[in-house]
Amino acid sequence: MAAVRADDLDQLVPLFERYHGPLFNYLTRLTNDRELSEDLTQTVFERILKYRSSYQPTQPFKAWVYQMARNVHADHWQRQQKMRTADVDEVERTGGLRGAAFSHMQVSGSHDDLHEALNLLTVPQREILVLNRFQGFGYEEIGKLLGCTAEAARVKAHRALQALRKIYFAN
Amino acid sequence: MKPTEFSACHELEALLPAYVERSLPAAEAERVAAHLPNCPNCQLQVTQLRALSDDLDAALPEIPRTALRANFMAMLEQQKQLLKPEADVPAPIQAPVQPEAKVVSMWPTAVASNWLRVAASIVLIASGVFLGRNLHWGNAGNGNVAATNPEKPAHVELAQALNGSKSRTVSASDRIQLVTNSTKAPQADDNTVQVLLNTLNFDPNPNVRLAACEALYRLRDAPGVREGLANSLPIQTDPNVQIALIDMVVSLRVHRAVPQLQRLAKKADALPVVRAQAEAGIGKLI
Repeated sequence: MAAVRADDLDQLVPLFERYHGPLFNYLTRLTNDRELSEDLTQTVFERILKYRSSYQPTQPFKAWVYQMARNVHADHWQRQQKMRTADVDEVERTGGLRGAAFSHMQVSGSHDDLHEALNLLTVPQREILVLNRFQGFGYEEIGKLLGCTAEAARVKAHRALQALRKIYFAN
Repeated sequence: MKPTEFSACHELEALLPAYVERSLPAAEAERVAAHLPNCPNCQLQVTQLRALSDDLDAALPEIPRTALRANFMAMLEQQKQLLKPEADVPAPIQAPVQPEAKVVSMWPTAVASNWLRVAASIVLIASGVFLGRNLHWGNAGNGNVAATNPEKPAHVELAQALNGSKSRTVSASDRIQLVTNSTKAPQADDNTVQVLLNTLNFDPNPNVRLAACEALYRLRDAPGVREGLANSLPIQTDPNVQIALIDMVVSLRVHRAVPQLQRLAKKADALPVVRAQAEAGIGKLI
């Protein structure tokens, strides 16, 4: 990344190869939308390029890039909230259709109970589980990313796991 | 014992994930282990957590489509393109500032390239003439350009039109049209030649002068044309007209143009390409 920072943009390719899969996974688990996640992953790498000068060589690239991904996701979330309030009428009109689509999705997606259960968690809980379970983050790293201690991260992760268990085994 | 057992369950519940993870400190792990055999509820929880943990571990990663990579590569290319001019810009700033403006010659001195330029200018002139011949733009009502007044001799009319008779000024493109049309008249006489020579020597617009040049070339057999072209050589200042004239006097083999060419070849303010062209012309004429 230090090379990328010094405008050797080709050096971003190996970083892309190593991280785009995990980042895409992370964002897909958070958003439950593959297409959107591809866009967001692309945005993450765009931002990496844009803000490459702000990268501190002492800082682990992984932490930096996930911080970026979190921000991208948060930005998207905010934009989504704004849009939702903006077109309430639209939602009301298409509400029936959406309901039908949703029930269809549940039928077709029933083989993947785990993901469905994950999607019923709150975003922070889902995020911490995704980081811990799918992204191979230790509690130390999660703590740094979320701005809390490793111990707090561990407790949060365990609470999230318990919450997931309750949903997963509810039926 | 019932209430304490319930509260113990409640307290231990928070520890169970860590217990399943095997990350509990030994003392707490022992407490959980001691509690479990008597508590089916907590046993169930542990079983469920283990199953969940296994399922989470077994979950296949989502694979992005290849389009993601393609998009990334496209974006990277774009950024690299953006970076290139950026990288070039700081260079002149860092370099010591050159006080005087640097004149970049549009006429490089390489001979091959010179001939290319000459060829290009001839092509331009030729295409101008071609357009002038083929575009029928004078409509019938527009008397000052197209209509021929039978009462006046053609050259008078041409001269008047060129000079903008009465308070009206004639645009350069109209003048080019007039000059080009003048040679189509069958009765191109000395006076037409004279008007064209005047245009060649004194029209403010180099393109009109070029058109006059071409028109005169078509009238090359008329008396006074060759002489007029040769005499026009020292008057011209526009390199395109200069080169066109040099080419013409050479191809018409106007030997009396040699002194003018020699002067032009030594003229300090002429462009190098013009001087070279004049030199070459002298070589062919002598």
